[in-house]
Amino acid sequence: MFSLYLAQAVTSGLALGAVYGLMALGFCLIYNASRLINFAQGELLLLSGLGILSLVQALNLHWTLGILAACLWGFVLGLFLYATTLGLTMRAHPLRQLMLTVAASLIWQGLAILVWGKQPHVLPRMAPMPDLRLGPMYFSQDTVTAMVVSLAAGGLLHLFLRHTRTGTAVRAVSMHSLAATLQGVNPIRTYAICFALSGTLAALAAMCVGPQTMLRHDMGFAVGLKGFVAATVGGYSSLGRVFLGGIFLGVLEAGLVLAFNNELKEALTFLLLIALLVVMPLGEKHAHAR
Amino acid sequence: MPMPDNPRPAGVFSQGRGWSFAGFFGVLAAVGLLAPSYELLAVNQHLLLCLNVLALNFCLGLGGQVCMAQGAFCGMGAYLSAMLHQYYPGGSLWIVPAAALCTAAVGAAVSRPLEQLHSGFLAMATVGVHSIFINVVLAFPQVTGGAEGMLSAVPLTLPGGVTLGGDGFYFLAFSGLLLVGAFMYAALENSRPGRALLACREDPLAASSCGINRPAIRAQAFALGAALSCLAGSLYGHYAGFISPRQFDLGLSLKTLLYLVIGGQGRLFSPLVAVVVLETLLSRLDFLGDARSLVQGLLLAAALLIGPAMRGHTPRALLRRWLGKSPPSVA
Repeated sequence: MFSLYLAQAVTSGLALGAVYGLMALGFCLIYNASRLINFAQGELLLLSGLGILSLVQALNLHWTLGILAACLWGFVLGLFLYATTLGLTMRAHPLRQLMLTVAASLIWQGLAILVWGKQPHVLPRMAPMPDLRLGPMYFSQDTVTAMVVSLAAGGLLHLFLRHTRTGTAVRAVSMHSLAATLQGVNPIRTYAICFALSGTLAALAAMCVGPQTMLRHDMGFAVGLKGFVAATVGGYSSLGRVFLGGIFLGVLEAGLVLAFNNELKEALTFLLLIALLVVMPLGEKHAHAR
Repeated sequence: MPMPDNPRPAGVFSQGRGWSFAGFFGVLAAVGLLAPSYELLAVNQHLLLCLNVLALNFCLGLGGQVCMAQGAFCGMGAYLSAMLHQYYPGGSLWIVPAAALCTAAVGAAVSRPLEQLHSGFLAMATVGVHSIFINVVLAFPQVTGGAEGMLSAVPLTLPGGVTLGGDGFYFLAFSGLLLVGAFMYAALENSRPGRALLACREDPLAASSCGINRPAIRAQAFALGAALSCLAGSLYGHYAGFISPRQFDLGLSLKTLLYLVIGGQGRLFSPLVAVVVLETLLSRLDFLGDARSLVQGLLLAAALLIGPAMRGHTPRALLRRWLGKSPPSVA
């Protein structure tokens, strides 16, 4: 009986883990390029999801067009976030840049309340995926969609970063911004691209999470924070590990729910974050690499 | 001219700071004397935020460490004091300092292992600390009242059964605590540990190589900040008569950090003025309805963009700069 519960927890954890994985990839892209922790990452997901909802309701798009439109909308939102935060304070103190992303998250949340109201919204399922049963494991339509979308997005991002000129520039800036600049890379353009890609990933995450848990005006910060925890679990260095960090966190949370109530589960998750940050002081490493 | 080997440290009220003290607390005293009792409610809430901002200034302004758990420390004070007062109703004189000591110990214990983290990661780690506090409060409703909150009806009591309460008393208590905190900040800044903290803020590696025990000194600053927030929270809990996790949520920590950055970390009075001015402005926005959150965010973002650029300039210098009569100074 317990193994059945566990199998179910793993499958539901995978659905949420895929969303955390996508959010973690977005965090990672922005942090590695610009050394900025984006507090508005969750609001990127929120506004992307609500925008897609309005688009789907207004135009009744085919699902392929819907996904493309979602990616494009997320890309534009990411660029806009860059232009209004880091783009405005390029030479400012890092703390001021950080706090501007906090202010951006407040503004975007306010915009969501003003345009879409405070009631939760269900995002319709866009990709026509079937339910799946593998032995004792039952994968719902939402889990299959989240896994397929997130794996495809992660794969495409890997190909982009490895095999395109712009992707190489992003990696170069992530490794050493000054050296990349000396080689002719425009770091400002790279930051903008990272924000835009992060927006695209957030839009895809919204597509996955919207039908599962609905979209609420106050969900952004919590989802963003989980994305950060997942990125920390993954170690910020490789796309695969960061994505797996998200999957691990989702499955861990689902497993903890079996033993503890929701509040203790959250407390233990954040305890894990602190323990990881103490054991693997990533900030220090990156500060020296700069 | 040769410099003396041991230059005399600047006094607490040197370099015009005495005037700042007199100006800020003079205006505060005038508000306390002239404002009607119902207005003091809003003033006291602003003072609570001022105390949190000042507390954060010990960690960030002196030690250079970002902390987003200030709301949690404030909440710890409120909950510890309210719970202990239920069992020892006349023990305010030891309960409030004991709560502050406990919270200071928690602050130091949090700071020490996290000291090595870079600012963004430290911010996130302390967000984690705050979330742990909120979730622990929610997880034990039989002790803390959970999401529905708990009554903090037992008033602060002095030996002899003298109970303390009312808007006027809490205004005096918050103002007095702010005055003591500001004096401690100014005194610490001009002391040997204060200079060690400033060295840690400016260049942690250089500070370590000069023999400063970075984790220890920063833990002390963290503990001081946590204790001050805790004292503010204890007072607020008894003042409000009811406490819930919503009063000490992450929004309080975020606002505290935002106002400190707007006013300038490491400055004593400009963050406090930023709190009073912006909070008064934001509290007048209720008529906006659903647009209130958006306008609040826009105002804070504008303050973040404009505030630091204006800092350190007199109105006359700003006007001259705006008219193009002098070259722009390096920010």
